[in-house]
Amino acid sequence: MSLLLASVGFGLVTSAVLAIAAVGFTLQFAVTDVLNLAFAAVMTAGAFAAYLVNEAGASIWVAIVAAMAAGAVLSAVLNYVVYTPFQRRGAAPITLVIISLGTALIVEFGIAALAGGINVSYLMSQGKTHDLGGLILTTVQLIIIAISLVVMVGVYAMLRYTKLGKAMRATAANRMLARSCGIRAGRVIAITWGLTGALCGLAGTVFAIDVGSFNASSTDIFLILILAAVFLGGPGNAYGAMLGALVIGLGTEVSAAYIDADYKYVVAFVILLAMLAVRPTGLLGAAT
Amino acid sequence: MYYLIILLVYAAVDAIACLGLSQQFGVAGVTNFGFIIFQAAGAYVAAVLALPKDTADGGFQTYIGGYGLHFPLPWIGAAVAGGVLALPFTFLVGRRLRGDFAAVGLLVTAVLLNLLVMNYRPLFNGDAGVALVPAPLSSGMFVSTSNNYQYGFAIAGMILVAVAYWFVRRITESPYGRTLRAMRDNDKVADSLGKNLLALRTGAMVTGGAIAGLSGAILVSFIGVWSPAAWSYAETIVLFTAVIIGGAGNHLGAILGAVLVPVGFEEVTRFISNNDPSLPPNLLPSLQWVAIGLLIVVFLWVRPQGVLPERRRVIKLPDRASTPAPARVRDEDGAGGAILSVADVTKDFGGVHAVAGVSLSVGRGSLTGLIGPNGAGKSTLLSLLAGTEKVSSGRITYLGSDITGRPAFRRARIGLVRTFQLASEFKRLTVMENLLSAVPANRGDSFLGALAGRRYWRRDEAAATARAADLLERFGLAAKANDYAGELSGGQRRLVEIMRALMTEPDLLLLDEPMAGVHPELARRIGQALRELCRQGMTILMVEHELAIMDEFCDPVIVMADGRVLAEGTMAELRGRTEVVEAYLVG
Amino acid sequence: MSADALTATGVTAGYGGDPVIRSVTLRAQAGQIVSVVGPNGSGKSTLLKAIAGVLRMSAGKVVVAGRDLTNAAAEVVARSGVGYVPQVDDVFAPLTVRENLEMGGYLVARSAVPDRMEHVIEVFPRLGSMLRRQAGKLSGGERKMLAMGRVLMLAPSVFLLDEPTANLAPAIARTLLEEQVTTLARSDAAVLIVEQRARAVLAVSDYTYVMGGGELRLSGTPAELTESPAFVESFLGGHRDQAIQRSEADDHADTGKA
Repeated sequence: MSLLLASVGFGLVTSAVLAIAAVGFTLQFAVTDVLNLAFAAVMTAGAFAAYLVNEAGASIWVAIVAAMAAGAVLSAVLNYVVYTPFQRRGAAPITLVIISLGTALIVEFGIAALAGGINVSYLMSQGKTHDLGGLILTTVQLIIIAISLVVMVGVYAMLRYTKLGKAMRATAANRMLARSCGIRAGRVIAITWGLTGALCGLAGTVFAIDVGSFNASSTDIFLILILAAVFLGGPGNAYGAMLGALVIGLGTEVSAAYIDADYKYVVAFVILLAMLAVRPTGLLGAAT
Repeated sequence: MYYLIILLVYAAVDAIACLGLSQQFGVAGVTNFGFIIFQAAGAYVAAVLALPKDTADGGFQTYIGGYGLHFPLPWIGAAVAGGVLALPFTFLVGRRLRGDFAAVGLLVTAVLLNLLVMNYRPLFNGDAGVALVPAPLSSGMFVSTSNNYQYGFAIAGMILVAVAYWFVRRITESPYGRTLRAMRDNDKVADSLGKNLLALRTGAMVTGGAIAGLSGAILVSFIGVWSPAAWSYAETIVLFTAVIIGGAGNHLGAILGAVLVPVGFEEVTRFISNNDPSLPPNLLPSLQWVAIGLLIVVFLWVRPQGVLPERRRVIKLPDRASTPAPARVRDEDGAGGAILSVADVTKDFGGVHAVAGVSLSVGRGSLTGLIGPNGAGKSTLLSLLAGTEKVSSGRITYLGSDITGRPAFRRARIGLVRTFQLASEFKRLTVMENLLSAVPANRGDSFLGALAGRRYWRRDEAAATARAADLLERFGLAAKANDYAGELSGGQRRLVEIMRALMTEPDLLLLDEPMAGVHPELARRIGQALRELCRQGMTILMVEHELAIMDEFCDPVIVMADGRVLAEGTMAELRGRTEVVEAYLVG
Repeated sequence: MSADALTATGVTAGYGGDPVIRSVTLRAQAGQIVSVVGPNGSGKSTLLKAIAGVLRMSAGKVVVAGRDLTNAAAEVVARSGVGYVPQVDDVFAPLTVRENLEMGGYLVARSAVPDRMEHVIEVFPRLGSMLRRQAGKLSGGERKMLAMGRVLMLAPSVFLLDEPTANLAPAIARTLLEEQVTTLARSDAAVLIVEQRARAVLAVSDYTYVMGGGELRLSGTPAELTESPAFVESFLGGHRDQAIQRSEADDHADTGKA
């Protein structure tokens, strides 16, 4: 029983980290039409930006802001320099996926070249452990869950109540009609890259905090979890991504407790392939 | 000297792998981001087939099998393993899934299989991998063999490149290869022409997988070890880079790409980096990967077709003198009778009566027009006749038999063929190839037929080419026979589509707005050619909104409005009828 | 004579390859309903797309309220007070009705949105009862009302309506034209409407252009057009005398009955 509760605790933390990344990824795809496989590499860039600020003496919770800024700037630059030019030219979706893989290599190994490929960790304390009715979580883990909840509520409120959020949804639903409503779709897309980039940087940092030590390639596997969460909820569906993150996060950690920690990703893998084969629009996607 | 041998063997391995990928990605349009797992499977299988029982070396490594088989069995087994492994993945690339989603699925598969093999030691010794794999026809590993052996091995590798090239080329340059390329350009249309997408994609996955498996076998026989680190998903990207740079769809380009990217780039710089102690250990390998990424992005921007673009297949038109007269002799008995009759057919879409009780008959040898305002149900009726949609009620009789329940491809086989409103040419096939792709029974249009070689299918191809040439002449497009269909004007593309439908030798051809967007002069030319075809015994039912065309070519003309047949007669008669005028003005 | 709300001069446009419409010129004044009719494939929708900034024109000029909008981006056209209702994909399907209307009022000051929405619901009362429904699940008629309500949120000076009655039942189509479309023009805006249902739209138009084969064939007031022998010919082609005699005979018959 305590094994289950412990794994649920881990699962909640993983879900929290995953939810931030998956929501960022899926919003990016919905609004910009780019299935951006460089997302995990940009996460790492954010984590390293936080590392630099943290090394300079700032608290990691302050450094997160730097990570978000780095993620936003890097994503906006990638959009401006790579993705938008190809889209203007009418590149096919599959070509953009190949390009995003190339971009992923550039970013990931660009960081590796700069950082030397070594593992680094943040200077921080894990805080006290708390027993919440059997769930044992550290203060840091609780903060991660809190950050994720704030992000989820924030994303929901933005999409639902703000002019920008509605413009993003309108652009995702029908770009041409959005423009005919006077929405500057190009600007909305650029802002989306910035916003989702910031989420990406944030996700990268909380991921790095969660795993303890990381290097340029640490997020390779995490990308698979992101994709699983996104496809489970339906590509482009933000609420679906939240649900997907919860299922995948709990599923991997709980199965790790009962099967073997080395195979915990297999659950995500099976879920993803099953969704692709049976219902590519996801649980919450429209069945068109 | 040993350095040269290393380069030659790597070149051979990479070239063979790239040929497999070129076949899958460049020819069949299947983006397999998990390509490397097929090479890996080949390498592992070759290793455990060649290795003795895992206890033989003191048990320092564990793996399944260990059969101690002699060459060439391990290599053959590797190719088979690569091919068989492809089978379970065909559900991803089969029919329904978007290409980019399928690619993501394959990428994920590659990452997770790597993870599994790394962690599950009993299978292939986990992350340490299998070692001491003996070289072919030798008791020890490659490094301990003689100079002459190593030269021989390199030369054998080159020969296998040639064999692989011959193999993929034989497939690609056959009618079957043409079908693969048609599917790559527009899978929905290929489907409507009766091509089995699932079988075609399975074929591409299996051939590519088998070739990749063979490349893995050669590699493991050469380096003697094989571990998960050797086949990370990023290796797939390297091969993709090679094929993109070399030229997707051009097999020589694939070989060139293999020499330029994995060999010339990776292997050569690996040597340099090891010799310079002043640099940080990870800098050069990292920069290599950055360069691979840059190559992909920059090349797709600057030269998306690659260094050696896909060749245009020029097919010589037969001399006019030797062109056989249209071989088709039609049964004239039924001339004037009805070839198709429709009794009280309806079609509901969720409560809306798109077609609300239509009865009509189409006379054999006639060029019948079907007109009516927007939303009259013309295109829906055409879909019902062709079997693209199922009727809600009513009966369709064709050539005396009830075909109401038959699916589209069965109707196509008995000569009832339709075209679509939207342009649907295969862009990167020539006009001639577009026409040839529609021929239903070419002996070379199957995997085995393609392998049997040109001699096996030459006669079918020649007959089809002669018919295509005849059509091209008739529709005035002979001069464009060897142009890419994607480079034609809108009107000429419509022509290609009509001719492609005619290549299936229909008895009754259903045309959906064939003259939409066509220059009036060309439209008249199409009309004349259609009338000529009807004179020779074909029957045509044509939806068209350009009424001048109806005036000139169609008799009779059927008017539909609100899902019903309103009137039938010559255009001149119809113009005088109040209900027709009203239908058009009220809309 | 009041200034033109919209003038389009010599518009030539297409989808790559040969132009679909050639050198089309038309104008519309504030408060007018101007219709463009013609058979299938005559280029009516293409004309509207070019004016709305959705499709590039290769030649020609578009001026709205004195401002040159030739080949301006769609969002710029919208910001210049032009409300465009495309024939298909005319609503944001995943969004609710209310959110669709809010998107229509994207350029309107936030404080003014509730008033505008109230006004839209006055014009299209049925929208008021379905604000929380998802736009993609509306029926054809409801959906078209929403699409028109959405552009009305912007209070544009020019409405561009692309076959609003397509796929609607005849009775609903007539109501839409006679009541809602007429209301749009009453707000002192110009309404340029493309229609397949020539008779019905003529009944509510102030001026009508007839297109055929990508060119303007005829124009005039509805009364002039129904008098003109060339009008029927532009739909059905062929020998005008015969057709027109018939048509006139029918008209007499109609009036006789009435």
